[in-house]
Amino acid sequence: METRLNSPQTFQRFHILHRILHIVIIFNFTFLAISGFLLHFSGFGWTRFLVSLMGGAGAAGWLHRFCAVFLYFGILIHVLWLIYYKMVLKQNFRGPDSILPGKKDVSDLFQNLRYVFNKGTPPLFDRFSYLQKLDYWGELLGMQSMGITGLILCFPEFFAGIIPGFFINIAGYFHFYEAVLAVMYIGVVHMSDTHLAPDIFPMEKAIFTGKIEKQRFMEDHPGEWKRQQMIND
Amino acid sequence: MQTGTIKIKTQLKARWMGMVLTAGCFFLVLLWFSNARAGTDNASFSTWFVDMSQYAVGAHASLKCEECHGSMTNKGPDMGIETKKNHPDTTAVDFLKTQTKRSFDYQTCQKCHKIAYARFAKGEHAKAALKEKTTTQLSETGYAPTCGDCHSAHYSKSHLSRVQTGKMMTQTCGTCHMDQKQSFLANYHGKAAVNLEYDKAAFCSDCHGAHTMLSLKDKDVVLNACRRCHSDATPEFANIIIHDGTNNFDLKSDTKKSSLKWVHLMRALSLFFVIAVLVFFYMHTGLLMLRKLHEKLRRHK
Repeated sequence: METRLNSPQTFQRFHILHRILHIVIIFNFTFLAISGFLLHFSGFGWTRFLVSLMGGAGAAGWLHRFCAVFLYFGILIHVLWLIYYKMVLKQNFRGPDSILPGKKDVSDLFQNLRYVFNKGTPPLFDRFSYLQKLDYWGELLGMQSMGITGLILCFPEFFAGIIPGFFINIAGYFHFYEAVLAVMYIGVVHMSDTHLAPDIFPMEKAIFTGKIEKQRFMEDHPGEWKRQQMIND
Repeated sequence: MQTGTIKIKTQLKARWMGMVLTAGCFFLVLLWFSNARAGTDNASFSTWFVDMSQYAVGAHASLKCEECHGSMTNKGPDMGIETKKNHPDTTAVDFLKTQTKRSFDYQTCQKCHKIAYARFAKGEHAKAALKEKTTTQLSETGYAPTCGDCHSAHYSKSHLSRVQTGKMMTQTCGTCHMDQKQSFLANYHGKAAVNLEYDKAAFCSDCHGAHTMLSLKDKDVVLNACRRCHSDATPEFANIIIHDGTNNFDLKSDTKKSSLKWVHLMRALSLFFVIAVLVFFYMHTGLLMLRKLHEKLRRHK
């Protein structure tokens, strides 16, 4: 009985579609990164072993392409959902709940930097903090440029008819460096911001269960919390 | 008592460390000596001698010495083509000291390898050999190679797989064309072919031609080479850079130079962007984590 009484009150934070898409991204992103970097860093002996586990270089290449298409389907579904959200549900993209970047994000960043150096209080985030917005837009826009450079690398015969030949070399470098950026950003900044923060450690489950605890809601998204209380009152 | 045992223990530890270090040094010295010995052995082993145990498992094992080297006596029977040859003078100063690769007449190879020899004779290496003969000057990559510089007549094995041949080829070509080997291995063709042993990827001769060894400066010739795999390649496709290294930059053609400048500028910019973004956000997140940890620990006190 006690545990049930003490079990924290939770609030719905993420729609089931977004939770599924997040898992789609996790799996495809991981396999894309592994298969891609295994080709790029194939000079080391052990990469050949790992590639042979995937069924050789050819199979690893197809896995890379398959995951890329799968991931992009996820993004297309998300865009369709955005259209549904706007057209059918008649919701607004703007407002404090929005994922669109706004002035508050810039001021939040500076306030956070002041807070880091003990010169102020932490910013009162709304539904999405600026780092969460950055994760979202980094993923959404980064996938577009990764998709474009990836398509160029996948169909060089076609693209050499449109753009100069050495642009394909440039696309190769962009594809690689953006992959490095994505992996090193997601692996360190996204992971520590969501899971490693002392109040959240060891794991943030909201994106998987869709529910957020009252305590976390009040502390991490005080802006949204306040507005919800006002609506309830 | 306590301190005494600790003292003994530390002394023992020091003694052990000393022994391990001495053994290590001894081992290293031994290794160095054995290496040095091996080095001198190789140097004294003139290329004039053939290791018959290796020869017996090579591709040419079925051939008798005379079939390539002649009977080594002017009085011997005529074996068809110019196989009558004098044995080298055993009393000469440079006996067994000259380079066999430079003195053997590799025209003998065309007796069996007609197509390969004809291709070689048309190719870039034969042109370089001619230039070397007329100008008596070596090119920047060294001697113009003949058959024996790339193939070992005595030890080469037959029936190697495409990947085995290709990997050996990358090493062989790379001994003279080091920059090209390096840039090939940095390119996705070389990574897939050599590092991942993918037999559908291109090795040196797949583009440069077996034995013709085209330098691929003429765009039409390049396009032909590309079309062996990329059948839909357009003329602009030939401008994709495979060897994008910047060593010996001045030897490259003007269009390649300007393209390479752009490629490497873009590469540097993207690297700078990646580093800038990561440095900012790593510092941001690291400091924020420390701050939050500090707050949490203070709350717990």
